[in-house]
Amino acid sequence: MNLSMLATAVAVEGRKAAASRVLTSTAVLLTVGVAALAAATTAAADGGDGQLAAKLGPLAAAGGWPAVLNVATQVTAAAGLLAFGVGLSWMFGREFTEGTITGLFGLPVTRPALAAAKLVVFLLWAAATATALTVAVALAGTAVTRQAPQPADWAGLGRLLALAVMTAALAVPAAWAATLGRGLLPAIATIVALMAVTQIIVVVGAGGGWFPPAAPALWALSPTTVGAAELLFAAVFPAAFSVLTLHAWHRLQLDR
Amino acid sequence: MTAPRIEACGLTRLFSGGAGVRGVDFDVIAGEIHALVGLNGAGKTTLMRLLLGMLRPTSGAVRIDGRPLRTADWSTVGHLVETPLAYGELDGRANLMLAARLHGADANRAARMVDDVLTELNLAQYAAVRARRMSLGNRQRLGLAAALQHHPRVVVLDEPTNALDPAGVILLREALVRRAADGAGVLVSSHHLDEVARVAHRITVINAGRVIGTLDPRGVDIERSFFALVHADDTHRDRSPL
Repeated sequence: MNLSMLATAVAVEGRKAAASRVLTSTAVLLTVGVAALAAATTAAADGGDGQLAAKLGPLAAAGGWPAVLNVATQVTAAAGLLAFGVGLSWMFGREFTEGTITGLFGLPVTRPALAAAKLVVFLLWAAATATALTVAVALAGTAVTRQAPQPADWAGLGRLLALAVMTAALAVPAAWAATLGRGLLPAIATIVALMAVTQIIVVVGAGGGWFPPAAPALWALSPTTVGAAELLFAAVFPAAFSVLTLHAWHRLQLDR
Repeated sequence: MTAPRIEACGLTRLFSGGAGVRGVDFDVIAGEIHALVGLNGAGKTTLMRLLLGMLRPTSGAVRIDGRPLRTADWSTVGHLVETPLAYGELDGRANLMLAARLHGADANRAARMVDDVLTELNLAQYAAVRARRMSLGNRQRLGLAAALQHHPRVVVLDEPTNALDPAGVILLREALVRRAADGAGVLVSSHHLDEVARVAHRITVINAGRVIGTLDPRGVDIERSFFALVHADDTHRDRSPL
């Protein structure tokens, strides 16, 4: 795989992604959903809804910008993994379910180059979605609190942006699962399982920082509780699954 | 002697249940249209997948223009096996542009190739229509355009007349005759002796994963000859010890 081949593959995958309703609607749903939930729950807590305040915990119950950021961060960690996972599952799984994978053999652009291009385009889409999500939360927060963000709030918005990008990266196992399972459903099942295991580990409190899918969310909620080594370990997780995915596309056979 | 565009020696790949291909020797010569005919499940698609690297053989080897698959020049190959390379969210022109880029054409050359093939296969009216809104036949025609537009030296088409109307079959037949006249080696498969098989220079019959003989494309009753070959092979295998 050389740079020219990768550039061609990125151009092709980028064209497909730009025309995709799946990616566009997923990005809009996540962006609007997170901002709306953060704004609505904060408004309810500020309005004296005791039951909701109890459910949200002490930080969110305090209202204002801390509540907006706390809710947005929690929802992004969970819903973001699902949304980015669905997007990536579709990008890889569709080639198998729609049968277009046969046309991706016998080309001068190799399959590993195409798989790498899908990952590059996915990360670009995820970065754009993460940016839109952060801007939407900033606007929703300003509207519901009637206050401009303070330096601590800007830092929280920065962590929200980083969390969304890292959450997208944590969805990379979906690409591997879609390839091994030859379709969308194995990939989405993998994402749902990843979400469930992450929730269990975080709720049990068994050193969640060392579990890669949990580390970014724990760091975004409380930066001092997760160290640099744990975040670095979380970065190795998508990198390893990217390599596995490229290898699976290199060795791919249409034998099922 | 003309060099083979495709050469397969002793190709074997079996699946559980016994389907697959067994010890197939096969070639496609430059300038010829070679039809591969056989009943459903005879092994035509498996053989084509092996020729294009979609499957790895358990034994045997394939060469494209004299080179093993690992180092073959894939920019000179065009194929359509089972499903057209057509993405539903993209229109006809965008799909063809992507296929051209994937075959190594830069943006300018790709645009010229697309214009030419839209005319050649009478697809101009579908250039701005999304593939998901096209009929099955027009999607097939789009897939054939994607496989042929870069004027490959090696053409492999699996059941290319599937879903095509009579006008589409004639356009395809003429396009294949032109490619072969320009020096391409063209391999087409069919489960019946249709119009494309009838323009072939050679017809090879495959049955139960083996090459069992050839037919004369200019023969007066090639259907009868085909069924005689298949029946004889089936009878022979039924009598042979396993």
